[in-house]
Amino acid sequence: MSLIDLTSMAEPDEEQQEKIEETLEGLKEDIPDLCYQCGKCTSGCEAFILLELEPHSIMGKSRAGFIDELVNSDEIWTCMQCFKCQERCPQDLSPVRVIFALKNLAVAAGKEIPSGYQKMLQSVLGNGLIQQPKEVLNRANETRKREDFDLPPVPEPEDMDKVQQILMKATQEKLR
Amino acid sequence: MKELGLYLGCVIPTEQYGYEMSIREVLPKFDMELVDLEESTCCGAPLRNVNMFTTMYLSARNMALCEKKGIDLYAPCPICHLGLIEAKENLEENPELKAKINSKLEEEDLRYEGTIELYHTLDLLHDEIGLDEIEDQVEEPLDDLTFAAHYGCNTIRPNDLDRPDDSENPQKLEELMEAIGIETEDYPEKLDCCGGQVISDHNESALTKAGEKIEAVQNQGLDGLSTICPWGHRMLDSKQDSAADTIGESLDLPVMYYIQLLGIAMGIDQSRLGLELNLSPVDKLEAIESIEEAE
Ligand code: SF4
Ligand code: SF4
Repeated sequence: MSLIDLTSMAEPDEEQQEKIEETLEGLKEDIPDLCYQCGKCTSGCEAFILLELEPHSIMGKSRAGFIDELVNSDEIWTCMQCFKCQERCPQDLSPVRVIFALKNLAVAAGKEIPSGYQKMLQSVLGNGLIQQPKEVLNRANETRKREDFDLPPVPEPEDMDKVQQILMKATQEKLR
Repeated sequence: MKELGLYLGCVIPTEQYGYEMSIREVLPKFDMELVDLEESTCCGAPLRNVNMFTTMYLSARNMALCEKKGIDLYAPCPICHLGLIEAKENLEENPELKAKINSKLEEEDLRYEGTIELYHTLDLLHDEIGLDEIEDQVEEPLDDLTFAAHYGCNTIRPNDLDRPDDSENPQKLEELMEAIGIETEDYPEKLDCCGGQVISDHNESALTKAGEKIEAVQNQGLDGLSTICPWGHRMLDSKQDSAADTIGESLDLPVMYYIQLLGIAMGIDQSRLGLELNLSPVDKLEAIESIEEAE
């Protein structure tokens, strides 16, 4: 069974389906023929011990076609984005980039994504930044705001509505 | 005078005010004119997890804003810096994607060409300004201190993109510290992750990462840890207490942005360097005024 067949089973929406298939085509180029499952990526993975992420098994499963399983897994959302797996791979492969692609697929397929990323996206659509300006504490436990420090206003597009519209469309696009 | 577009990203202008303050205070003394990019947004890198096309659009938009001013771009956040470099490379390799992105930018009268240079704090200070120039401006060298360096994952990796320092044996931050009188020591966990990018969804694991890193430096008997990444600084300094609770150890390691240390060595008024916002016990260090003194 091909990668695409597996995903099709889980995805009835036709338009969505088409998009996913196209992304998968792209992902296939990233999915390594060259991974020899040596596990070097996993032995250095920052999320291995604490969150049980195993980049080599993600590479193995991708190659074996278990994309749907991966896209539905919590595992792909534990990556700390340290890029150590890529650094260590003797075959110059990039598990972290495969994991990014899998997360993109999960989003495109309408899977529920972790709340942290949802909030970031929401915030970017609001004023362009992943979080709003915060009140912080100083060492004496007093509250401080950006305005207390003689700093210019936080950057924001003049026409945020327009940027928001572009962003809404952009999130429906795929990279390849 | 070199003009640079100051691209702050998200974390710096919304909470890491001390980094921004010290940047604005210190760099002009080295003949750098920082030009604000008032209309900038998120670099897009955190959204790689959601949709990579959006990442490319946002990165290109920010670079286009800077191109419009005809100057190079300075991104003090390594995550932004990596995101922008990655977009730059992708758009160079893929003219079709570039055209598609440009058709979106057009709606705001922007155009991305890919002509600007990108800098981060580390290469700007070490390679552009240079160690000699930095030494020249030191008024009170920070002798009697031994610090370790936290580079941050994205400052040195991935090695297939142009990063500010070497992925296996980065030394620029140490050299910069030595230029202002600080002794430096390596530690086995130097290249490790602070957990910062998974803090919202895996709070405890992220804090464990940070805590273990702080503990390692502390157990080596060092005076402090120097940072150049706002995500890393947030984990190692702003959240040091939570990290201590998480790993069940007592942590009291001074953590400072390198550029704050530089400002102090240059004799700049400490209240202008945002030092009150360092939540780790930086006033343990003799060179640092306590909050009361600074007020
Ligand atoms: S290090 Fe590279 S070759 Fe080895 S298992 Fe990981 S991805 Fe495969
Ligand atoms: S980038 Fe992700 S998968 Fe790769 S080593 Fe780091 S945490 Fe593990």
